[in-house]
Amino acid sequence: MLFLSQLANALVIGTLYALMALGLSLIFGVLKLVNFSHGECLMVGGYLYYVLATTLKLPLSISLALSLPVLFLFGVFLERSLLRAPYQRRMARYDEYVILVTFALGIFLQNLALPVFGPYNRQAAPLFKGSVRIGELVIAGDRLTGALVAFLVIGILLFFLYRTYLGKGLRAVAQSPGAAAIVGIKVLRMRAVAFGIGITLAGVAGALFGPIFLVNPEMGTSFAVKAFVIVVLGGMGSIKGSIVGAYILAIVESFGSILLPDPSRALAYKDAYGLLLLVLVLLFRPQGLFGEKERRA
Amino acid sequence: MVRKMLLFVLGLVVILGLAPATQAQNVMKIGIVAPLSAPGGVETGQALVEGAKIAAEELNAGGGLLGKKVELVIGDTSGQPEKGTAVMERLVTHDKVVAVGGEAHSSVALAEIEVAHRYGIPIVISEAWADSVTAKGYPEVFRLTVCNSLIYSKAARWIKDAGFKHVAVIGENSDWGLGVIQVFKDNLSAAGIKVTSMSAERTVTDFTPQLMQLKNMQPPVDFLVDGFTGAGEILMIKQAYQLGFAPSKNTAILGAGMDTLYPGFWETAGEAGVYVLSNPAGLPGIPKTQTSDKFTKSFKAKLNREPDAVAMEGYDTVMVLAEAIKASKSTEGKGLVAALEDKVNWEGTRGTIKFNKEKTPAWAYHMWMDVPVFIIQYTKINQVPSQAAILWPEKYATVKAYIRPPK
Repeated sequence: MLFLSQLANALVIGTLYALMALGLSLIFGVLKLVNFSHGECLMVGGYLYYVLATTLKLPLSISLALSLPVLFLFGVFLERSLLRAPYQRRMARYDEYVILVTFALGIFLQNLALPVFGPYNRQAAPLFKGSVRIGELVIAGDRLTGALVAFLVIGILLFFLYRTYLGKGLRAVAQSPGAAAIVGIKVLRMRAVAFGIGITLAGVAGALFGPIFLVNPEMGTSFAVKAFVIVVLGGMGSIKGSIVGAYILAIVESFGSILLPDPSRALAYKDAYGLLLLVLVLLFRPQGLFGEKERRA
Repeated sequence: MVRKMLLFVLGLVVILGLAPATQAQNVMKIGIVAPLSAPGGVETGQALVEGAKIAAEELNAGGGLLGKKVELVIGDTSGQPEKGTAVMERLVTHDKVVAVGGEAHSSVALAEIEVAHRYGIPIVISEAWADSVTAKGYPEVFRLTVCNSLIYSKAARWIKDAGFKHVAVIGENSDWGLGVIQVFKDNLSAAGIKVTSMSAERTVTDFTPQLMQLKNMQPPVDFLVDGFTGAGEILMIKQAYQLGFAPSKNTAILGAGMDTLYPGFWETAGEAGVYVLSNPAGLPGIPKTQTSDKFTKSFKAKLNREPDAVAMEGYDTVMVLAEAIKASKSTEGKGLVAALEDKVNWEGTRGTIKFNKEKTPAWAYHMWMDVPVFIIQYTKINQVPSQAAILWPEKYATVKAYIRPPK
């Protein structure tokens, strides 16, 4: 029974991890850049949902639905204002620029949240309170609804990427921006859309994490580390890899911390399991589980 | 002529050199260190600062100290030791404070006392509980709150007397949290009670795997100690409640950190907070003192809620330092330390504060040994600590025994 409960919890947490990691992966895949402010964008999503649901007292489902377009526009705005012009100018050392600018953006957002919302822990209301019981198996309502919404969002994203014209355009740019441009795909627009979707995914993850793990200005930091672990584990830019990687990390964290023979220390190593997994993958399969080996011209 | 010129220049140098100094001489700076941003316990830090500010306002309304205006220099340590060291260095070398008070995280306090010791500046610890803070034996370090050994040896006795059989402790990986685990283990194992302990990083947010494990243990865990501060303390209570583990009719839960004492606790834990046990080092008006009444009134007028243990400690900290400054009539470090040790005997918000000089046991050095401690239990949602049921000490108890939740 304990095994089943642990597995259920790991799957629920894994689905939420997947949502968060997919955003990072999509941005890397299409824009070929690492968004170091991913954790803070998650935090923005957490606060946005909190403000809509608690301060403005909108119905919870409407708050969540309303945060989607706001987050998307926020992402597009960030891409337009910080990333586009240097890319168009083919700036020298663009990669280093991106690292610095996204890193700075993260610090800025975190320090902006401090005076605006205060350093307190906030609790956003979950879509469903209480808990679900199946025999001895208990799953908290906030987790279950969080996972279901995340599952739905991931499903919509996959449909969008693999079945729609725009989604195929995104994947074309991810494979080869040059070739995509030749067949008439507007690469710049695709980059903006990808960044917007990536930030939306992070933000929705934040909105769903908020009721479970509380909202505060630093909430994104530990999740961002997990997202990086997942993305490298699954293969940089691989959609399938991010989803599988998220479940692997959640299962390893959940079981790693109860199967260790000395229970008094097991929990202390919880975050270490993910990093150990990362080291092993990098040693034996540097491209990640589903990543392609890098081809250099 | 040359001599006159020289005198003139010298005079000018003296006047210019003294100008900022004379200005600085009119204020007396006291440093306050507290966690005011995450991952520290922010509400604890803010309560501490609010209490200290009321003390400074009162002192200034009464003409200041030694004829000077009291100015608090507040440093945010975020609950991180390295920040504590940096803030202390700045307070001592740049702001030139005469003494320091505050802190609510033991790991940070341990970093800060090193700086205080190095510069010979007295530091009065308001709310850091690890034994080692005073056990180090630094003459500059005083503490007017409890320490782990003082409170949890008593709490452990209470747990035994209340008939609990299997105690689980989940503590954060800090000097305080590991101390909580140790003291419970030592005291309860000796009494024949089974103790299961776990430690984790302070940043852990999901305790569900461990709580499930504890819930399935044999013999069943009937008492859970939540040895976390900040978000972790609240999340553990919330998750234990959601799993139907604790507080429940089978298992009690003690929130050992201070985050169970603030309005934010109810906002975040909600109904999970009912029946939770807490251990404040002070409740307003118990015992009743003149200072307590006065402070409660000013605090309520300013913040529109009743003061908590930490706010009272913040107030007492500044006032005790003021007493020492008045008694030694100077701001020199050694004199202040001697005055704190020998001359301070002041009726504060929680009783008459006097520091112990004995070094056995080691933690008792420079401690206020008579600090009041309570075990309280919330009986309904949004309850303030002073309205909660007092289970211990017997002298102040409002209920006979632990109240078992119906579900």
